[in-house]
Amino acid sequence: MTITPVNLSSTVADDEPPVSLWRDAWHRLLRNKLAVAGLAVVILLAFVAVFGPWLTPYDFLTQDLEARNQAPSLAHLFGTDDLGRDVFSRVVYGTRTAFVVAIVVTTIAVAIGVTLGAMAGFFGGLFDRIVMWFTDMTMSVPNLLLVVVINASLKTPITAWMEARYQATLNPFYRETIWVDFLLVFGSMALISWPPYARLVRAQVLSIRGRPYVTAARALGLTNRLILMRYIVPNAIGPLIVSVSAGLGTAMVLESAFSFLGVGVNPPTPSWGNMISDGLRVWQHYPHLLAAPAAVLGLATVAFSFLGDGLNDALNPRGSK
Amino acid sequence: MTAPEIQKPLLDVRGLTIEIETRRGPAIIVDGINLTVGKGETVGVVGESGCGKSLTMLSLVRLLPNKIKVKGGTAEFAGRDLLKMSKSELRQVRGGKIGFVFQDPMTSLNPVMRIGDQLCEPLIYHRNMSKADAGKRAIELLRLVGIPGPEQRITAYPHELSGGMRQRVMIAMGLACDPELLIADEPTTALDVTIQAQIVDLVKDLRKKLNMSVVWITHDLALIAGLVDRVAVLYAGTVVEDAPVGELFARPTHPYTRGLLASIPKLSDERASRLSSIGGTPPEPGRRPKGCPFAPRCALAESICHERVPVLEPVAGHSGHRVACFVAQRQLKEAA
Repeated sequence: MTITPVNLSSTVADDEPPVSLWRDAWHRLLRNKLAVAGLAVVILLAFVAVFGPWLTPYDFLTQDLEARNQAPSLAHLFGTDDLGRDVFSRVVYGTRTAFVVAIVVTTIAVAIGVTLGAMAGFFGGLFDRIVMWFTDMTMSVPNLLLVVVINASLKTPITAWMEARYQATLNPFYRETIWVDFLLVFGSMALISWPPYARLVRAQVLSIRGRPYVTAARALGLTNRLILMRYIVPNAIGPLIVSVSAGLGTAMVLESAFSFLGVGVNPPTPSWGNMISDGLRVWQHYPHLLAAPAAVLGLATVAFSFLGDGLNDALNPRGSK
Repeated sequence: MTAPEIQKPLLDVRGLTIEIETRRGPAIIVDGINLTVGKGETVGVVGESGCGKSLTMLSLVRLLPNKIKVKGGTAEFAGRDLLKMSKSELRQVRGGKIGFVFQDPMTSLNPVMRIGDQLCEPLIYHRNMSKADAGKRAIELLRLVGIPGPEQRITAYPHELSGGMRQRVMIAMGLACDPELLIADEPTTALDVTIQAQIVDLVKDLRKKLNMSVVWITHDLALIAGLVDRVAVLYAGTVVEDAPVGELFARPTHPYTRGLLASIPKLSDERASRLSSIGGTPPEPGRRPKGCPFAPRCALAESICHERVPVLEPVAGHSGHRVACFVAQRQLKEAA
C-alpha cells in the first residue's frame, strides 16, 4: 500500500529559505524610516551609556571653579555648570543613570507583569480576579504620589540606620548611600510599572487561549506549562515588545520626573531630571544648563516612541494600513 | 484486512449527555449519545452544523469550552472511562492513544513554531525521544502523509504552507505517537474539493497501514462513502440512525437520513430541478421539542412523535442497522 505521490511543490517557493516571523518583522521595521531613525538614536544613546567613561573628557564630579557657568565651547561642548563641572560629561553619565534605571525597572516590571498576567489569563477564576484586583488597585493610586510616599517614608530610616551601622562598625560600605537611592528608585518604579504589562499580557492570553492551535496542543496531551510557554506567551509577545519599547522611554521620563522632584536619584549622581531641576533655576542667565539635559531627554523619549510605533507596525502588520 | 473484530469495542460511549450554560439556565445539547468504535474500524459521524458532532468528540478527551459540561454517561476507551480519568492519565491518552485532527488547518498550527518543532513536541513528551530522534521521526511522518521534500519542510513555518499541506501536517501530528484511535473533526471542510479527495485517500491508506480506528466527523455524507465502515447519523444531539455504510446508502430508514441523502445532487438530475433540502432548522438548545427532536421538521410525523422520544432500535432483518423512529419501525414491521 503506497500513498499516491501528489505534486505539491508549487505550493511553496522551493529556493527560498523559510522566513521566520521575526525576520519578516525586522524587514518591515527597516522599511520604516522614522523607526530606523528612532532605533539609531536609541543605539547611539545605549552606546554612550555603556562607553560613557571613555567618551567624556572630564569626570562628572570634577569641579573647575575658575570656569563656572561657561557657554558651550570646544573645550566644554555643552558648557559648564555653576560648580564648573562639564555639562556634556554630566549628560553622558545621566544617560547611564537613565538607561540603568529604565532597563532594570522595565525588566522587573515585565517579569512581574508577564508572569501574573499570563497566569491570570490562562487559569482564570479566583486567581484571575485577585490579580486583576491588585492591578486595578495599584493603577488607581497616582504614580507620583506613591513614589514620593515610598521614598519619603523609607529613605530617612534606611539612611539613619546605615549611619548608625557606620558609627558602630566604621565599615565604609555603610557610607555608600548611592545604591540605596537606586534601590528605592528601582523598587518604587517597578511597583507602579507592572500593572499595564499584566493587563496587556492577560488580554493577549485570553484571546489566544481560545485559538484552535491551543486546543490542538491540549489534544496532543501537552502540559499547561508547555502550552503556556511555547504556544501562548510567544504569540502574545508582539504587543509586549511594542509596549516594552515605549515603556523604556516612559521609565526614563519617570526617572527624570522623580529626580526633578528630588525623590529619585540624588545629587551628585547625575540624572537628566536633577540637571533639569538645577538648570531651571538659572535658565534666564544660562539657558544651556537647562537646554542640554532637556534636549537629550526629549530626544530619547521621541526615539523610543518612534521605535515603538515602528515595532507595532512591523509586528502587527494587519493593524496598520 | 479482516472484518472488524467482534470483541469489546475500542471506544464505547454510552448515554453521553452534554449541557451548555445559558442565561436562561442549562440547556442540553447532546442528549444521551451511544456510539461504539471497534478496533480497526472507521466510523463516520454525520450531521448538520450544531448537532453536537464536534462537542461529543471533544468531550471524550475533556476539551470542552468553559461553559459546556458533560452531565452524564460513560466513555470507555480500551476499558477505561475517559470521563473519570485523572488529569495526568488523560494527558497520556491525549495525543498518545487518541490523535486529533482539527477542522481548520489555517489556525490549528502554532504560527510562531516551525512545523518540525511542533511535530516533535508530542514525541518528546509522550515517547521521551531525544530531540534528534524526534526530528528524524518528524521527517518520516511528513513523508508518510505525502509531503514532498520533508527534510526541507520541517524548518518551514505554517504560513509558508498551503491549506492542504497544513492539513497533512495536522494529520502527521495526530499520528505522531501511533494512536489507537484517530478522531478527525471535519478535516476537509476548509479545503477545496480536489484536496478533500486527497486527504480522504490519505487517511484511507494510513488507517490500513497503521491498523488504527478512525472517527471521521463530517456533514458531507458523499465524501466519506468510500472511507468509512459504519455511519452514525446525528440529529440535535442524538444518534438517529446507525448502520454499515452500504446498508445506510441502500436502505436509509430515518426520515432525516433520507432527507440528507436526497439533498446530495446527482449528475442525472435535470438541470432545472431545484436542489432538494430539508425544510426548517434544528431545534435551539434549550428549546428541544418534547418528543422526537426531528418531529417538527418531519413530513411523516404522527402524534406519538410529538409525545415520546424514540430510542435506537435494531432494524429487523438487517444486522448492525439501528434507527430511532416510531414511524419507520412501524412501516418496516408492516412490510415484513
